[in-house]
Amino acid sequence: MTNFWNSDSVWLFRHRPTAIIAAIVAVLIIGSAAAAPWIAIANPYDLSTFNLMDGLLPPLWQSGGQAQFVLGTDDQGRDMVSAILYGARLSLIIGLSAMAIAAVLGVGLGMSAGYFGGWLDTIVMRIADIQLALPAILTALLIDGIARGVLEQETHQSLRVVVLITAIALSLWVNFARTARASVLVERNKEYVQAAEMMGQHPVRIMSRHILPNILGPLLVIMTVDLASAILLEATLSFLGIGLPADSPSLGTLIRIGMQFLFSGEWWILWVPTLFLVMLVVAINLLGDFLREVFNPRLRR
Amino acid sequence: MKQLTTQRCLLASALLALSTGTQANTFTWASSTDPQTTDPHAVNAAPVLSFLNNVYEGLVRRGRDMSIEPSLATSWSPIEGKNGWRFELREGVTFQDGAAFNAEDVLFSYERASSEASDVRSWFSPVTSVEVVDDYTVDFVTKDPNPLFPDSIANFMIMDKDWTESNDAALPARDAENFATAHSNGTGPFQLKSRDPGVKTVLVPHEGWWDTVEHNLSEAQFVPIGNAATSVAALLSGEIDFVSPIPLQDAKQVESRPDFKVLEGEETRVIMFGFPHEHEKLLDDSANPFTDVRVRQAAAHAINIDAINRVVMRGKVKPASQLVPAGISGFSDANSGRPEYNPDTARALLADAGYPDGFSFSLKCTNDRYINDEALCRAAASMFAAVGMDAQLTTVPVRNYWKELRADDFDMYLLGWSPGTFDAEHPIRFLLHTQDNEKKLGSWNFGNYSNARVDELLPQIQREIDPSARQGMIDEVVKQTQQDVAYIPLYTQPLMWATKKNIDVTQRADNFFILKWVTVN
Amino acid sequence: MTYFIAKRLLQSVFVMLAVAFIAFSLFRFVGDPVSQMTGVETSLADQARLRAELGLDDPLLQQFYRFSNNLLQGEFGYSYRTRQPVGQMIVERIPATIELGVVALVISLLVGIPAGVYTALKPNSFFSQGLLLTTLVGVSVPTFVIGIMLIFLFGVQLGWLPTFGRGGTLNLGAWETSLLTVDGWKSLVLPALTLGVYQLTLTMRLVRAEMMEVMQSDYIRFATARGISYRRLHYRHGLSNTLVPVITIIGLQFGGVVAFSIVTESVFQWPGLGLLFLESIRFVDIPVMGVYLVLIALFFVVINLIVDLLYAVIDPRLRVQKAV
Repeated sequence: MTNFWNSDSVWLFRHRPTAIIAAIVAVLIIGSAAAAPWIAIANPYDLSTFNLMDGLLPPLWQSGGQAQFVLGTDDQGRDMVSAILYGARLSLIIGLSAMAIAAVLGVGLGMSAGYFGGWLDTIVMRIADIQLALPAILTALLIDGIARGVLEQETHQSLRVVVLITAIALSLWVNFARTARASVLVERNKEYVQAAEMMGQHPVRIMSRHILPNILGPLLVIMTVDLASAILLEATLSFLGIGLPADSPSLGTLIRIGMQFLFSGEWWILWVPTLFLVMLVVAINLLGDFLREVFNPRLRR
Repeated sequence: MKQLTTQRCLLASALLALSTGTQANTFTWASSTDPQTTDPHAVNAAPVLSFLNNVYEGLVRRGRDMSIEPSLATSWSPIEGKNGWRFELREGVTFQDGAAFNAEDVLFSYERASSEASDVRSWFSPVTSVEVVDDYTVDFVTKDPNPLFPDSIANFMIMDKDWTESNDAALPARDAENFATAHSNGTGPFQLKSRDPGVKTVLVPHEGWWDTVEHNLSEAQFVPIGNAATSVAALLSGEIDFVSPIPLQDAKQVESRPDFKVLEGEETRVIMFGFPHEHEKLLDDSANPFTDVRVRQAAAHAINIDAINRVVMRGKVKPASQLVPAGISGFSDANSGRPEYNPDTARALLADAGYPDGFSFSLKCTNDRYINDEALCRAAASMFAAVGMDAQLTTVPVRNYWKELRADDFDMYLLGWSPGTFDAEHPIRFLLHTQDNEKKLGSWNFGNYSNARVDELLPQIQREIDPSARQGMIDEVVKQTQQDVAYIPLYTQPLMWATKKNIDVTQRADNFFILKWVTVN
Repeated sequence: MTYFIAKRLLQSVFVMLAVAFIAFSLFRFVGDPVSQMTGVETSLADQARLRAELGLDDPLLQQFYRFSNNLLQGEFGYSYRTRQPVGQMIVERIPATIELGVVALVISLLVGIPAGVYTALKPNSFFSQGLLLTTLVGVSVPTFVIGIMLIFLFGVQLGWLPTFGRGGTLNLGAWETSLLTVDGWKSLVLPALTLGVYQLTLTMRLVRAEMMEVMQSDYIRFATARGISYRRLHYRHGLSNTLVPVITIIGLQFGGVVAFSIVTESVFQWPGLGLLFLESIRFVDIPVMGVYLVLIALFFVVINLIVDLLYAVIDPRLRVQKAV
């Protein structure tokens, strides 16, 4: 334990106040989002639990606020606190899954492309070009459209989240692929890889056992950055009208709905979820910065 | 940008400025959609017709209160000895290029507007032929007596035969452009000066207009602004003088500022829920409970329209009982009661119908078509849930919506209907008559509500000349469909316009923005 | 080198065809153009006839063949929405998007590079930390919220800048520019800031990271030992060595500018390609969507090609293996 406490990264962490604060915020948000079903007073998915007559109530401290709705209610009488907890939960599920899929896909393709080169490299990188040329909004429409065509209406509805995850993952994998490929191009000429090759090790083994651990640093950094962008991308897709339905709210959907109340005086419907989202994304990004420092000792001062 | 200004126009407006010496009033107005085209027969859509009503004119036109009044025709009467209407045309009217207007232009416009390439040809489906009697008299011959015909062609705009033909635009463009798509030559009070589609369209007064000028504008610019928040911001910053519509919830903010005012009114559009009358099964393969009238009644009793009005619609709507609002011809107070909100009644009806524990169904709504449509459906879904009807809400952009409804992909759906003819017959034809592709009836009756008596009454209503007999038949249809709960009418959609305080505009129930009634003080 | 370029250009054609094909196969899912093109009173028979006339009933492959064949002959077709020639619509909208993107990029470089250098040299100063945090918050707020807030603050409350559109523009031949009028520049500020904040943050952080790394490298240490002045050290030796990776990444990110411009243009009613694309999606304007996507694909392919060529020029070591 003492060893861990005194290890390099932990030492660094203890001396980075921003990292400590970011970690606390991230843990708090992620923890409360994960615990939403137990700590939220209402389930925003359950239509029968809220009453339209409670709609548009301001936060507790404003006149007209009610103790049971600390941050007010939205236009449907939904408790904002419950809404953002469940919303953050959904946003995180979407963001984490999209990021994980993108990472596996991107790193796999990128490393193979870099390692084997030749036609495989050409094909992967050209597919990456195609992907870059299709804006995320269009990828989302594509996936959504295919799902709509292939799946029954009911199934499609329940798979909206999966559709969104796939769409976001597809627009993020290129980053991983490019980084992995570039790193592999550098690593594969190093002695340790050549030694492994001469020993006749299988390429998959060389890549996973030898190269991957050495490029994990930059990949981890991309993962945090992409987690942040995935959460934001979900919000943007929602704004453009291809996000989640309003009755299963993510933070992005909540912000989209809140945008309608920008001039109406019911500021909390927009700003509560927006602030929550910003705190979450900033915390994740700061943690990413910290990881960057850990994996790149040269950046330390 | 395409400059249409001819030297002649320039000269004319320069002369005007000199002679009148009044200050130049440039008026800028914004709306969410750009008119797709300036061809009056190519697209039967409100943004196009509304805009072009400032440039082109019809034989008849609608006044501030929507009543029909003479325009290019000075009078009309039934043709003696034949079914149809004779229109006496106005003499001395000139098009914006200076050409004179006469019966040839009416015949030509009829042929153009009723051609296969036209999107407004349905207006002329009762017409069998159009005959030019003399230069200023035209007969529209119809199959049956058609008392409503003059009312139904207020948006039938007259083009100049020579101008249109010599510019190769004798037919409306469907899948390509032609000269009339971005140029215009009407008889109306304003003419097109320049058009940059999607960015800005500039109109100037037509100096040779036949009618008395009531506006005091020297130029009018239209800019489309798609994002509602941006358009409100543009108004509040003073860059534009007028915007329609503004979101209901923004009205308070606009009104609270000293330099602006909000104009509230009632559109003729009734928002309603529709049922799958004819489906054997729901989408989840369970039996369709909505075929039982008690279930439909229960759904109607589950809706708390006052709560929806207060929270979702900010108290701006009027609950509706029929498919047309008061003020439309053919509306009568005879059937103006609506099912009261009573969850207990709803639950009892459901239990009666054999659903004591309720059931689950799919509610389909648009999210970009009607005012606060998504919020309305969310509120309704939670009200249905409260009586045990577990609504699974799907919201779809309108570009997919109609296709999915036509594919029967719904268990209950949202619909807004504005009677294009401003008569109660219109929704009977489109929403209540049994679907019949051959007769072109019931084409928006997605759930295929079908009642033999209604089908029987429709042609009689269309033919009947005697107003009270006609009203009696309409009332019978309304009563029948209310008993059957063919639809649940919810409310009339509000109109919400905002403008600078020093500007007077007239809000008409068809939501058309008419420039000739704008004055800048 | 010529062989390399020729090969890449050939591949580019395939990339564009692939994009066009993917795009085409998804259009049917975007919605039904015919119900958008016709009024409520249009009969189903008339709708069906229009659908057939537009060739929407044909098999997908046949539609795709027709589209790509026309494209190769320089025929872009007509918009379903405005019925204008698609080529003309796109050409008219290109200047707005390019000017917006370039100005956003220039802002992000002019601010981002010095800020990056500063935060690298004085990492612990209050100002550096503040700068890093502010920009981080900037990229953590969704673009559409930033845009609307800027409009509300500078357009409505302060009344300094226009809330929408391009303002006064001048025509330079076919190019409609807003860079030659004061009004045009005023209109450009807010959207460019909105679009640029992400690039700015990225640039700043990249420059900072590279700079810190370079400052630790051996040759800078030698230079310090040789007694070269700090200013010369920082800008001449330090910064110049960081720029290669920065420029390549910025180049790639320019694509991101195009993608993000959809949101920015829609918030500011900026009459560029992004807004046109969004309007086309809403209307299911298939011809415009198709040509737009092929154009964007071309754009990416060209940028990637340039970046790869730059690599080869700048770093000779990469020349052999990079030449794929």
